Amino acid sequence: MATTGKVLSEKFYTAMKKLEPRYPNKKALILPALHEAQKEHGWLSKETLEDVANYIGVHPAQIREVASFYTMYNLKPVGKMHLKICTNVACCLRGADELMEYAEKKLAIKCGETTPDGRFTLSEEECLGACTTAPAMMANDDYIENLDINSLSDFIEKNKGGQA
Amino acid sequence: MPKCTIDGKEVEFKPGENLITVAKRAGVDIPVFCYHPGLTVVAQCRMCYVEVEKMPKLQTACSTNAAEGMVVKTNSENVKKGRAGTMEFLLLNHPLDCPICDKSGECDLQDNSYGHGSAYMRHSEERRTYVDVDMGPVIEKNMNRCIHCTRCIRFGDEIAGIREMVAVKRGNNVDITTIDGEALKTEYAGNYADICPTGSLTLRDFRFRKRAWMLKKTASICEGCSKGCNIELQHEGNVVYRTIPRENLEVNKYWMCDEGRFNYHYTQDETRVLEPRWNNEKTSWEDSILAVKTALEGKKVLFLVGTDLTLEEMSAIREFTGLYYPGSVLQHFGTPGIETSAQDQPADKILKMTSKTSNLRGAEKLGIVPHNPRVDHDFSAAVVFTGGRAVLPELGHAIQVGVGVFLDKDHQTAKYQHILPGLAYTEKDGTIINHQGKEQKLKRAILPRGRSKSTAEILMLLANKKTKVGVA
Repeated sequence: MATTGKVLSEKFYTAMKKLEPRYPNKKALILPALHEAQKEHGWLSKETLEDVANYIGVHPAQIREVASFYTMYNLKPVGKMHLKICTNVACCLRGADELMEYAEKKLAIKCGETTPDGRFTLSEEECLGACTTAPAMMANDDYIENLDINSLSDFIEKNKGGQA
Repeated sequence: MPKCTIDGKEVEFKPGENLITVAKRAGVDIPVFCYHPGLTVVAQCRMCYVEVEKMPKLQTACSTNAAEGMVVKTNSENVKKGRAGTMEFLLLNHPLDCPICDKSGECDLQDNSYGHGSAYMRHSEERRTYVDVDMGPVIEKNMNRCIHCTRCIRFGDEIAGIREMVAVKRGNNVDITTIDGEALKTEYAGNYADICPTGSLTLRDFRFRKRAWMLKKTASICEGCSKGCNIELQHEGNVVYRTIPRENLEVNKYWMCDEGRFNYHYTQDETRVLEPRWNNEKTSWEDSILAVKTALEGKKVLFLVGTDLTLEEMSAIREFTGLYYPGSVLQHFGTPGIETSAQDQPADKILKMTSKTSNLRGAEKLGIVPHNPRVDHDFSAAVVFTGGRAVLPELGHAIQVGVGVFLDKDHQTAKYQHILPGLAYTEKDGTIINHQGKEQKLKRAILPRGRSKSTAEILMLLANKKTKVGVA
């Protein structure tokens, strides 16, 4: 498809072109398409969802339903570094709740919020599949495993970036 | 035809029919929430459990098609247990606010809970609550009562042709809402309230005006357009409170549009003329009839009938004009631009027709021709019969008589020298012919309001020789 959407760039459509042969039909592409679209701005705006819907050929409402079903799609703007701390059983037993509490205090935000400088977003995640290395969290697309208060603190400090 | 057995009764069925439809024919009612005969089957609510012999688990009757030799039990211990379990799950988060809920008395959730649920509940945790969005002027939303049957989503998608309701989030947090909380756009929004099995979507127009069980119900026909949707007028104490669609698979299936649904309001408008008028002054029927007869005497009269009148009324008017005003002309009017049935086309892909009056086919059947404004000046007087729905033509005559339903607010009643108040479609019996040529019956739901009289009665008064012209 040569046409570009309102907010999605050519990059999205070329990536989709590559994926298309791997799926039985276009509807099956909704999840990868949403991932690809999210890469562009870090989150899925209403316009982005509409573009994806146009590309797939379904009503935007259906895309909205899918996007809101999964926690990995952000329907609100997120900070530069999106911290997703797993609070499921294994991590919880290894102290994920304390980590969450610590992160909230350290960043001075509540779970689900973004710091005023737009650097961090903190959220809770269901199982990350890293139970052997619990507690774990995701920072954008990377796994940080075997966390404790110290390593979490170091990680946040390291990623605060050049203080302005 | 193949046969299956339901609760010991043998029933014939057509291949492809589901167990709910077949059971209904056998006189067995299976409780449902998400299933609606006019919508696709999703088997989400799990209420319609039945036991099918040789199947290890309970089956949902809505998604199980009948098969030759199938033996179905709908009231075994297992089924009862299954339904009670489903009911308990559905009520986990329901606020149980029936006393203040508008759906109470006609609520599927209430009925099925009473019939199949338990009077006690083991759940004592906090209930899930939602913040509601404004869904526009037609529907009031109360998401706390919702059981996530998705009938509304499917209605929008499959019938109204607009996917404006969505189910966002998942699991316990599912929220049935409009996209970004926008107001509903469809012109069929009233149906959302009809199909909602709980008090989640209720009609703003009807809310808190009357309890459902107090209403008397009269099966009638909508006069909103030439579709002739089958409706039920619900009324009490001579006041109509709402209109709901009646099932007729040949005409409107299970639906009706908002225009037709709220159309009855004009018949109860404050500005409706309910007493005879003579030069904008209230007067008695005797004086009025006399004055009209005097005014029309010896004149060449143009009679105009609205295509919102019944076949009986039109035929009485035709007979009357032929007998008492020979040389007069009878023409019909209704929707500007739609003069013949050939011009009457579907206005959308759902129900609406372009003719905004119900009985255009009836007028044509009686051989009445469309109103032709070019001949207006041939006549020195005009008598206009209307049921209130037809758009009144602009007439330049010195003498204008109006018979029927007139509203001060939008019918420019000041132009008429005489107004004789008639009956609206909620107040009379009669026949109308819809766009398919189907004859359907209007039924009187409430008594005439004020001092209005039926068309037949008014014609008899006008015809009566005893009311002599010139004698007071």
